[in-house]
This record gives sequence, structure tokens and C-alpha cells, in this order.
Amino acid sequence: MSRVSTYIDNMTDATDLAERAGDRDPRIGLRAVAALRRLLEQLEAVQVRSARNQGWSWQEIAAELGVSRQAVHKKYGRR
Amino acid sequence: MFERFTKDARAVVTGAVEHAERGGGRTVDAEHLLLALLDREGSRASFALAALGGGQWLESVREALGEARRRGGLSQAEADALAGLGIDVGEVVARVEEVHGVGAMSGDRKDKGWWSGHRSFSRAAKDVLERALRIAVAQRDRHIGDEHILLALTARPGVPAEALADHGVTHESVTRVLYGGGEAKAG
Repeated sequence: MSRVSTYIDNMTDATDLAERAGDRDPRIGLRAVAALRRLLEQLEAVQVRSARNQGWSWQEIAAELGVSRQAVHKKYGRR
Repeated sequence: MFERFTKDARAVVTGAVEHAERGGGRTVDAEHLLLALLDREGSRASFALAALGGGQWLESVREALGEARRRGGLSQAEADALAGLGIDVGEVVARVEEVHGVGAMSGDRKDKGWWSGHRSFSRAAKDVLERALRIAVAQRDRHIGDEHILLALTARPGVPAEALADHGVTHESVTRVLYGGGEAKAG
């Protein structure tokens, strides 16, 4: 009995994986994008902090990031 | 909303601010609410956690939270989603730490002045407290207690819910120990 249910569980897992591999489910892709955005935010914070510590101006940081000086300052200023 | 918080729930909120201060974070996150919740004794949430075997694994939850913070607060689900894109979060963190030092990715986030005080609450932490309110209302409880904060943490995808679920603490299991049998199944 338990062996049967284990077998079925394994089969379900395999089916899930197979479905995910070729993914058409928008949720998977959207979640990946959201996670990527979070990772990006963390990386940006690390780099901006590092640049500030090395004496970079907001203008210089903004130029490298390709955004306006105001945008960077608003996000990371006063901290 | 605050005036409806019980003494224990307020202690969780102030405890979370202390945890954030101690950790050097500029914002109070959902993880800090959970850390503060784990510190409680004699409250309804601590009763629920103890009923689910909390004595055994509280420390392991704290460690899991620390690990997650080190990888930029990304949950396992998020790390898995990125792995699906070919991005190894562990590798990214390792490289950042090589240059910027251990714990570089655990840095603070922007988010200013929501509640008074030096540290603001992250969107996630605010969401937890708002959910706690809604859960209390749905349960027809007059006050918002720390057990509602615990329920809110389990109801919201993210690092705290994952760390708790790894130890059998789910929305279902907490609901069961707090409100009894009903249709809630063992978690």
C-alpha cells in the first residue's frame, strides 16, 4: 500500500518536473522575474554603497547606472 | 490599528525594531517580526509554537533566517526560480562577498518614514501587520494578538513562512492549535 503511494508520488513529481521544464505556466516565469528584481535591488544597493564609500558623487553613480542623479539620490540618499 | 494590539503584539513590534537595530538593518522586515515572535514567552503565539514542538527547533529557525538574510533576503522559492533562469544565487552571493565582505548582501533597503522612529517598516513587514489585522477580524477576535502576527507570517510567501514550514509550522497547523480541530488539517 505504502509502496504504491510512494510510486504514485514519484510519478507525480516526475510529471510536475516535466511540465515545468518546458514551461508555459506564466506563474513560473513571472516569479523568476520578481526574484530577479529582488536580486537586482540587493546588488544595486551593495554597489551604490561601495561607490559612495569610495567617494563617488551621486552624479557619477547615476551615469554608470544609466539613470538620473535624482533617482539615485532619492533611493539611496540620506543613509 | 495599533490601539487594538495586545501587549504581546506590541512587544513583538518593538522587539522587531530592536532586532533590526541589532542587525544593523535600516528597515524592520518580516524576518525581524518573526525573530521577535520567537523571543516571546507566555503569549498565545509562544503557546502555539510550543504546542508544535518549538522547544526543539526555535534555534534552527533563527539560523535559517540568518542564512536567508545573507543571500539578500531571498527565499528558497525565489532562489529556485532564479536557478530556473540559470542563476545560482549562492554563487552570486559568494562573489559579492569576495569583494565586499561577508554579509554584504544582507544590507538594508530603501523605504522611508512610515511609522515614526528611526527605522521604517519594510513593505513586507507592513503587509504582515495588515494581514494580522485581517486575520483577527476574520476570526472575530476583538484584539490583534501575537498569534495573529504568527498566522500572518505563515500566510505570506517568503523567508519567514519557509523557515516555519520547514518545522511543520504552517497556517493550517497554527490555526489548528489555536482554534482547535474544525476543518483545519494537520500541517
